[in-house]
Amino acid sequence: MASKPQRVHQFAGTSVPGSMKKRRTMTTDCSMSDGFVKYADYLNGLNEKRERVVKASRDVTMNSKKVIFQVHRISKHNKDEVLEKAEKDLASVTDLYMSRLVKELQGTDFWKLRRAYSPGVQEYVEAATLCKFCKSGTLLSLTELNASLLQLSDPSVEPLQINVLDYLLGLGDLTGELMRLAIGRISDGDLEYAKRICQFVRDIYRELSLLVPHMDDDTEMKKKMETMLQSVLKIENGQAQSWL
Amino acid sequence: MRALFPALSSRCHVSPCPNPLTKPLTLLRSVSDTLPYRLLCSSSASAPPPPPSMADDNTSSTSPSTAPGNNGSASVEKQFEGFRSLLDESGTIRERIRSVVMEMESAVRVMHSGLLLVHQSLPVPEVLEKPRVQIGVLKELYRRLADILRECPGQYYRYHGDWRSETQSVVSLIAFLHYLETGTLLLHAEAEEKLGLDASNVGLDIEDYLTGLCFMSNEMPRYVVNQVTAGDYDCPRKVLKFLTNLHASFRMLNLRNDFLRKKFDGMKYDLRRVEEVYYDVKIRGLTAEDTTKDQKTEA
Repeated sequence: MASKPQRVHQFAGTSVPGSMKKRRTMTTDCSMSDGFVKYADYLNGLNEKRERVVKASRDVTMNSKKVIFQVHRISKHNKDEVLEKAEKDLASVTDLYMSRLVKELQGTDFWKLRRAYSPGVQEYVEAATLCKFCKSGTLLSLTELNASLLQLSDPSVEPLQINVLDYLLGLGDLTGELMRLAIGRISDGDLEYAKRICQFVRDIYRELSLLVPHMDDDTEMKKKMETMLQSVLKIENGQAQSWL
Repeated sequence: MRALFPALSSRCHVSPCPNPLTKPLTLLRSVSDTLPYRLLCSSSASAPPPPPSMADDNTSSTSPSTAPGNNGSASVEKQFEGFRSLLDESGTIRERIRSVVMEMESAVRVMHSGLLLVHQSLPVPEVLEKPRVQIGVLKELYRRLADILRECPGQYYRYHGDWRSETQSVVSLIAFLHYLETGTLLLHAEAEEKLGLDASNVGLDIEDYLTGLCFMSNEMPRYVVNQVTAGDYDCPRKVLKFLTNLHASFRMLNLRNDFLRKKFDGMKYDLRRVEEVYYDVKIRGLTAEDTTKDQKTEA
């Protein structure tokens, strides 16, 4: 970003990018220059918005990671308090950071800027589903997740709803975290819990494998599927070793 | 990946789906023949999973492979079935869009080949007749595209990538045509009007428009050279003025480090080549005019 105002300075001879609106280069004829003033405004607005979305997305990522770490602090005896704290953290991610995304993404921005916010949303899905699984052993559905986002936006505006693709990509990452959790449980001697995780991860893997070819852009998902399969194998191997 | 398969085959009694990267594709064919139809009728575009009341009969009839024994994974399955039909729907929309885009591509090709005759020193009005007809064809295609997109409001940019590069070519051609007709730049609003586009549903993305202009500029050096060959010695001066203005206008934009920026960076080479042609014409005394203003441009 820093280099761009400089460019303006260098070429158009204006010191402040905002003042460009009024300036007109000597040789440019009128209608052309008027048109480009509009395009410049549009591009500036879009770039600024994208920048804000990227920042919000990064904050969501960072803080969702913290929630995930918190969940991993779980052990046999402290389950309830660890999860309680994790859920509280997750709620604050929703209130503080997801709400910023919600504000930015209206109408067509939702798809136009998807590349800018998708990583954050995926991480958020991962954190939310991990919490839910640890608490109740079930998969947090997209509907439930989106319902929790509804309260963030003004009823008059279109609410941000996580789309299917980001949800699925988030689930792809979830299995990696569950693998770590399962390995931890196994070394803790809690084989029953590890077994449940294993079944859950297998279910997700199987369901996702059916969906991959249908996704808009499946390259990212294909990569995740490979990682996911390795996670499944690791849990299975871990279980097998513990029996020996 | 390679290392993974031996591990798989030796453990296939545990693994739910051996050879997971190829199997689901074939499996899917048979499943999707029977399964999504029912779901297609039931799911609307915005509500992902079908209501829970449907859960029981669906899961029992469509999942012979697993007997998980807890309702947790049954509802998981339920949700994913909903996703599958949603993704199927968007896949169908994408296919329809692609078929329109293919026609667009061929219209662009016809128009481009028509415009190429401009380099063969034929009279301009005659050359422009055919390409002009193609604008009407394109307009109709964009109308069809708009019809498809009306079914999924707000998702313009989900599918944008599918017609993006064609639209950029379209802009470059109609802008070139417009320059040949009028000697001026085709503005964004004019381009939208020509193609029957309307920002409320399917508009012309400004970045696509600008990229199209860069493509048009690429055509200019060749045009200038051939016009000079054909004896039009004033053409380089006009084109140079036009391109200089265009380049100056582009410099008002704060571009990101993306495709458009790259294309814009290429524009200066077009400008330089046109300058060289103009210089050659001038130095040989082929221009009728003799103005101090032009000499200043050279300096």
